[in-house]
Parts: sequence; structure tokens; C-alpha cells
Amino acid sequence: MRRRRLFSLMLITALVAPPLLCADEAEHAPASTPYLTQLRPFLVQHCVDCHGGDEPVGGFTFDRYEDSAHIQTDFEFWEKVYRVLHEGSMPPADVPQPSEATMLSALAAIQQELAAYDCGVDPHPGRVTLRRLNRTEYNNTIRDLIGIEFRPADDFPSDDVGEGFDNIGDVLSLPPILFEKYLAAAETVVEKAHAEGRPPLAQVKADTPEEGIAIYSRNLREFMARAFRRPVTDEELQRVLAIAELAFEEGVAEDDHLKIPMHAVLVSPHFLFRVERDPDPDDEDGVRALDDYELASRLSYFLWSSMPDQELFDLAAAGKLKDPETLKAQAARMLADPRSRALIDNFAGQWLQLRDLAHLQPDADLFPGFDDDLRAAMRRETELLFECVIHEDRSVLDLLSADFTYVNSRLANHYGVTGVTGDEFQRVDLPSQRRGLLTHASILLLTSNPTRTSPVKRGKWILENILGEPPPPPPPGVPELEESGQLLGSLRERMEEHRRNESCAVCHRRMDALGFGLENFDAIGAWREQDGRFSIDPSGTLPGGVNFRSPNELVQILVEQKQAEFVRCLTRKLLVYALGRGLSSQDRCSLDTIEEQLAAGGFRFHALIDAIVTSDPFVLRESQKGR
Amino acid sequence: MMSQKANLTRRTAMKGLGVSLALPWFESLQPARALAAAATTASPPVRMAFLFVPNGVNVDEWTPERVGYGFDLKSVLEPLATVQDDLLVLTGLTHDKGRANGDGPGDHARSASVFLTGAQPRKTSGAEIRSGISVDQLAAQQIGRATKFPSIELGCEQGRGAGNCDSGYSCAYSSNISWTSETTPVGKEVNPRLAFERLFAAGTSQQMDQSQQRRRALQKSILDFVAEDARQLQNKLGHRDQRKLDEYLTGVREVELRIDRFSQHRESGSRFGLDVPEEIPEKYAEHLKLMCDIMVLAFQTDTTRVATFMMANAGSNRSYREIDVPDGHHDLSHHGGNAEKLDKIRRINRFHTMQLAYLLEKLKSIPEGDGTLLDHSMILYGSGLGDGNRHNHDNLPILLAGRGGGTIDPGRHVVYDQDTPLCNLFLSMLDRAGAPAEYIGDSTGRLAGLKL
Repeated sequence: MRRRRLFSLMLITALVAPPLLCADEAEHAPASTPYLTQLRPFLVQHCVDCHGGDEPVGGFTFDRYEDSAHIQTDFEFWEKVYRVLHEGSMPPADVPQPSEATMLSALAAIQQELAAYDCGVDPHPGRVTLRRLNRTEYNNTIRDLIGIEFRPADDFPSDDVGEGFDNIGDVLSLPPILFEKYLAAAETVVEKAHAEGRPPLAQVKADTPEEGIAIYSRNLREFMARAFRRPVTDEELQRVLAIAELAFEEGVAEDDHLKIPMHAVLVSPHFLFRVERDPDPDDEDGVRALDDYELASRLSYFLWSSMPDQELFDLAAAGKLKDPETLKAQAARMLADPRSRALIDNFAGQWLQLRDLAHLQPDADLFPGFDDDLRAAMRRETELLFECVIHEDRSVLDLLSADFTYVNSRLANHYGVTGVTGDEFQRVDLPSQRRGLLTHASILLLTSNPTRTSPVKRGKWILENILGEPPPPPPPGVPELEESGQLLGSLRERMEEHRRNESCAVCHRRMDALGFGLENFDAIGAWREQDGRFSIDPSGTLPGGVNFRSPNELVQILVEQKQAEFVRCLTRKLLVYALGRGLSSQDRCSLDTIEEQLAAGGFRFHALIDAIVTSDPFVLRESQKGR
Repeated sequence: MMSQKANLTRRTAMKGLGVSLALPWFESLQPARALAAAATTASPPVRMAFLFVPNGVNVDEWTPERVGYGFDLKSVLEPLATVQDDLLVLTGLTHDKGRANGDGPGDHARSASVFLTGAQPRKTSGAEIRSGISVDQLAAQQIGRATKFPSIELGCEQGRGAGNCDSGYSCAYSSNISWTSETTPVGKEVNPRLAFERLFAAGTSQQMDQSQQRRRALQKSILDFVAEDARQLQNKLGHRDQRKLDEYLTGVREVELRIDRFSQHRESGSRFGLDVPEEIPEKYAEHLKLMCDIMVLAFQTDTTRVATFMMANAGSNRSYREIDVPDGHHDLSHHGGNAEKLDKIRRINRFHTMQLAYLLEKLKSIPEGDGTLLDHSMILYGSGLGDGNRHNHDNLPILLAGRGGGTIDPGRHVVYDQDTPLCNLFLSMLDRAGAPAEYIGDSTGRLAGLKL
């Protein structure tokens, strides 16, 4: 069975194999694939002059498709090719354009090639590299395990970010200094728990030594099971007991022999890492379902950034968590729990980059009204909108289009909303100029320079985080367009001057149109009609010819016409966060399934969570291929 | 179990050895050092530090016109006038592996990850990060055993907490310059208080009461326990997981060694006029100064001989309000030839070299052996980019201060052939630190011209 699968894969590769630029060799293969008949001639005629050779424009090259089109394995690349062709941003306006029929046939060919992949054939749930707890997870886990509010991990070195998040197994390394910090933190945590009179392992009262040891062992086993997030073996228990004994023989003070074993447990790799056993080597498919305890941890660290609670442990012990309906019910319960605040802090905080707000320093002379209270209010507004979508189970599209928001008096003043007093946040209707998070002061601030707005940064941010189509960075040696401001005129006039340079314009047309649509908002997100002595012109045209006249219309166009891109972008980001790994081409089937379920669920947030927690990558684990 | 008990006797013997002050290297000859037969000469050990600044420099205001002794100090190097005779300006050195070499954009991330490794970082935003072992860690692995800490890693900016750091490179590449293996960046301490407490003083939470003395003795049994856990676990996991547990076991080993050799030995910073610093100061200059103080003290007390210091992360967009440059550094570095921006870059560069001058002057003020602490040091300072606007990785701005224990003749501007690997300098530095290596990164040999 497996052998046949491999054989059929080889066959597919052979079919699409002819090199793009060496027509002679194409004779070996049957010239029947959409790639060969429709796509390849199109690429040769319209694309490879720029996107091939030694210095491909934008680093985007078709040369690597020498051996085959790789449309299956490099599906993301080809989806991008599809997008830029489809929206008309390629080929650029200053080169001969394909006829509409040619274009449609090329697009159809890409679609056919992409659709040819059979998701049912070869499931690849992927595997997450052994993940240590990051700083947030460590703090929360200590809180829930010991029951004290105490944040020892704040003193740990910062966790490196990969794929936009700080919970990626491959990137979370453990340098020696961190192990030192673990040792010190474990000691401090145990001391603090005792000082506060809530030791996880209490002094045992018993009539006989035997009884005492029995009770002590039982308590220790319970503590270890919660710390390791799974039942412990007798051997594991005995080894920790041996440490307690040793402490006792050492003649340590009264309750120190209670502390030492806890100390050991808190620096054990079983506590610090989220361990998931690999599939057995003799498992031919190399895929296994995660056990109930592993699932409990996946759920709890996804939605709470912390360890499972008793209900999850109980369900795991009863073997019930594998049931998809139970998973969904638990996800709903967990989202309603205050601990789901972690999803806002950590997922939304990183996806939308709200965490960066803390470091931004708008120029104090230009923006005297800006202070830390306003900064905090900005962040809170966006968090509250996200919270509302979670707790009211609204459509994820509301993030973009909501006609309401949350403000306190400080932010209300900033927005020109009247009738709000005090520091408490309240839900208000937005003024007609603002819709959804793209018009939140938080996002507008973090996409500005300290002294002025940056339409480029705003456009780039939207492409990266809302539409999931990050533009390539400028080639070396090219100053950022808006930075060499020798020209006179408004910012827009200066930049349009630069956009006449076609090699820059390719990307900037997309970025700038989006960014200029938000020019009515200044560098700290306040509404304005003028920039210095120039009137703001918030109109623009998106690639593909869609016109808008105001920020509101821009948002509306994004919601109506870029819905699929936004949904895919959000789905990808949330799946990366949920799994703790980057996605590969093999995840596309899972992504498709999740998106289908999300659409079927009316784009409600819970439908997205349900689809993720029951998806293959979330509930299965694949063995490692090769090295 | 038996072996744990046997070990315990030795550990018990360590109990009751109270607190002792750290002594400068010449006042205390630790047993461990005496064991290192090679280091029995009377001359002080050679210390190495590597300082990184982001975003390249204003090259015209950096590079001297004249070569050799008596070189001219342009604006950026002017603050170093008082230590000019202790300084080599090295022009023409290159990190070829910082270039794209087919990997496309991402020069900022590469500029940091290549800075001390000379290795082409694997382009990945998450899966399987890989660079190379950095020069400081190569040194630490050879000479680090003689001191309480094999090396220290300092910085001023935490890694970015969200988003992309640079064009498809994980943030691990742009916020670390020290790599202990090709897959493990070392991580750095940015909080002066924490850095200080780790090196010199036990914090309030770790006051050495009696029960803690005992726990220290028991710590090894805990380490034995968790190391066994990790080894058992390793057998059950895949290759990439095993690598994570390798990192864990390295951490265990480091602490074990320290307990073996140094648990009787505690330092006090106040003896040298440095009290426990507060958290991260508001002012950047103050922050930099504190980190430099800690580095100097660590060298002075022979707590470590190897240090790295990222004054800011690669691509840092910090605003320099303290010198009236409110713009972001990275934004400015794309100056496009604009005179106003170039001038602001010059001022930022100068701000950094002023901090370097503080460090060098302080090292120079401390007598040691027949000279000063600076005489027995090699302080490398530079950026992984030449001109921030061009993103070039050749002609890097590199300074080397100190005499490396009499193995370097400073006070000169030396110009090397185009594309001479910076890694050649690293090899020469490793020789002088007593930690010779066959090669590092893309080195092709030793760098000539450090000694006349």
C-alpha cells in the first residue's frame, strides 16, 4: 500500500518534470499536463525575462523549477503566482500584457495543478519539536500548579520569536544561563509557597512511620502527575523519593525534605518540556494519535498558555478527550474561562504586534498629547475587540469591520467620541470614519514612524498580517522610497514621484495604495484632514482597479473582496500558534479543511477553534523523516 | 543511589565553607586554576570581549584617512582620542557569509548571526535554526573552565516579542551573537540587576542562610536526578527533540562544574565600588554604562574571561532622544545619501563610541600585573554591516582595543586587502587567548599585522 503511494508520487513528479528553460528535454514526458500545455508557454513569454537568471527581480524566480514544476510541493509559491496574476499586479504595466484569454488559461492551469493534489492519499499531520515552556507558559504553569501569583520567568532571557510567535519548538532553545534560572526559580517558588503557607507537599501527620511514608508518597505522586501533566511511573516516584530520603539523611531542617523533591520536580525536563512521545518505529505510516494527556496539554497551552486543569485531567484519565465532540466542548468551556485571556495576550498580542506598542516613542514635540495612559488605552481597545469576538462568538470578519469599539475617556477624547467619562472601558458606536481594527489607534501607531505616518509601513503591515501576502523587502542599495525626501510636495506627491520607478512600483503600488487609504489618521491614530499645509487625499486604487475614496471604503473593500485572503491569513497564524511550529506545504489539506469548517460555521470564532483542535496536525503526531 | 551517597561525603565536606570574597586574579590562586598547568605563569590571563552595534555606520565619518601610527580620528572615532594608543582600526575586513549567497534579503539578521560565527545562517523563520559556533564560545570552551563563568552574554534589548525580525529569518538570528553550538544561540542578559546578581551577589531571595547551604550541597543530587530524566527521555525521542535535551544536559553540566569548583567562592561587587544596580535604567547611556561596569568587574575579579555585548539588536529602530535624534535608528540608516540623515547616523555612531571609550578608559584605569587590565584584554567592537544604506558586508567597521597581554601593538590604522575574512582576526584572537582553533567560519588563516 505504502509502496504504491510512493510510486504514484514519483509518477506525478515525472509528469511535471520538464525543465522550464530547456525545451529539448521536454520530449521525454507526455505533453499533457496543464503545466506543460498552458502554463509553461505563458511563463516563458511573460515571466522568466525578469524572474529568472542571476538577478531575478524581487528574488522571485522560476529557475528553481528546472526539474519539475513542483506545483505540489511548492504550492505556496504557486498560490502566490496565482494571486499576483489574478489581481493584475503582474506582469507590470510597462511590459507587453497577455491577452485576457491567455491569462485566464494560465490561471486555470495553476488551479488545475493545485487541485490535482489528493488530500486523502497521504496524510501528513507533521510533528512539533519538543517544546520547552516559554516565559509566559512557565509563569502561568507555576501559578496553576502551586497556586501562587508569582512571575519568576520575567527574569529569564527573552524567548526568541520564530514564525511571528514565541512558542515555536524549534526556536525555543535552552542555553546554559536559562537552566541556571530554572534552578533558582524552582528554589524561589518552593520557598515562596512555603512562606505563604501553601506548600504543595504538606507535612504528613500519621500514626506510624509506614503510614507517614505512604501518605507522603501519595501526595508526591499527585504533585508529580500535575507537574508532568500525566500519570507518573513507580520508578519515577521512587527516584524522587530517594532524593527526599537523601535530604532527610543530610539532616536538613524540618520541612526541607519536603522542599527538595519539589525543587527537583520543577527542574525536571518532564516539567520544563512538553513531551510528546514519537510514533513507534514499527508503525508503518509513522503517524500516531496523541494520547489523552498529550491532548489535554495541547488544548491548555493553546487556549490558556498554561497546564491543564482538573477537568481536563479527569477527562484524560477517563480516556474521553480523544472524542472530537468532547474536544470542542472543552474548547468552548476553556474560552469562557478567564484564563483564555492568555489567547489575547499571546496570540493577538503577537499576531497584531500589540506587544511592540510598549517600545514605541512618538516624537514628544509633535505629539504632546501622547503618554503612557493613552498607549495603554490603545492596546486595551484592540484586546477588548478581540475578546468580544471570542466571548460573543462573533464572526472573525468583525475584527475588520466592527462599527463599535471599546474606549475609556482618554481614548474617547482621542477619537472625538463624546459622553465617555472615567478610566473604565465601555462599548461605543464608532464615528463614521472608523471601522474595525485597521482604524484602531494601536495599529495606526505601530505602523508609523516616531515623527510621521508611514503609508509604506501601514501597507506592508496589512499585507503581512491581514492578507497574508508579505511583500519582499527592498533590494539592497535602494533607499526606502519615502526616505529620500528631496522633492517638494505632500507625502503622497513625493511618493508617487518615486513610484514612477517601475522596479519599485511593482510592490509599492500595493503597499502604498493601502497605506494612503489610512492617511486620514496621523502617526498616533488621531483623525486629520490636513498634513501640514497639504490636504489629505485618502482615495486610491487597489491593484486590479478597485477604487476607494476613504478609509471606510478601503476597509469595506477588504472585507468584501479580500475575505478569503484574510480568513486564510488568520487561520494560518492561529494554527502556527496552536501547534508551535511553522506550516509546510503538507499542511495545506488541513488548512483547507479548517477553512471549510470555518465558512460553514458562519466564520464564527468558535468554529475556527473547533476546526483547529480537531484537525489532524493538532491531534496526530508524525515520526521524523530522515535526519 | 550508592554513588549519590558516596558523592555526598565530598559534598558534605564543602558545607561550612563560608562565604569568601572574590579576589582579583593575582590575590587568589584557586585550586582549579592551579590544576590548569598551562596557566601557571605569573602573567595575568587574557580577556576577550566582543561588542556589537547594529545598522552599520557612517563610513565617511569612521574610516581614518591615514594609515599606521598617528592616524586621524574622524568624528565617530573622536571620542576614543584618550585611548587611541590602545586601539587598532582594522579596515577592509569582510563577512562573506553575511551576504545573501542565494538566500535573498535579510542582511540585518545575517549581520548579527554571522558577526561572531562567520557562518551562513540557515534561512528559516522557525524550523531548524542553524548558524555556527561563535568565536567567544570557542574560547569559552577552552579557557572558560578556569573561571566561575565560562563566558557572559550581555545586551540592552530583549529579543523582539512579536512579528517578523527580518525577511524570513527567525528573530533568534537578529537578537543573538553568541552561539554555543550551531543550533543554540546563548541568550543574553539585558537587566543589569540580574546580570550583577548572577555574577557577584546573591539576591535577597537567595540569601545564604544555613538551610540553603545544605541545599546547595543537595543540589547535585537534584542535578543527578534531572540529568537521568533527560537521558531516559532522549532514548524515546526523535533527532530534533534530542538536540533540545542536549541543550538541557549542557546546562546541567555547566552548573555541576560550577558547584564542583566554585561553591565555596562568592564574590562581592561592592568591594570594587559597584553595588547591586537597579533594573533597566530609563536612559540608554546609563544602561550601556552599567553593562560595561559589570563586564569590567567580571574581568577584574576573573569571574570570566570572555564576554559578548549587543549594544542593540540587529536592525534596531531605537530612537535616540538623549542626543536629540528622535528618529528610529534603522529608518535613518536607509539614509539614501541624505545629508541630514547621515549626520544623525554620525551622531548615533558617536554616541556608541562614547560608551566604548568609557569601557576602555575604565579597563585602562585598573592596574594589573605590570600594566593595566586593558593591556591584558582584547576588546573587539564593530558592526556586521558596513554602510546601513548599502547593506554591505565588506569593509566592516571594526576596532580592536587592548594589547592582548603584549601580543598586539595597538595605536595604528591597518588596511587589509579587499574581502579579507573577519574570521581570520578571530583565529588570531583565539591564539592570543590560549584557545587556538583550526578554523572558524570562513577563515583562511591568521590575520597579519596585529603585532609589528
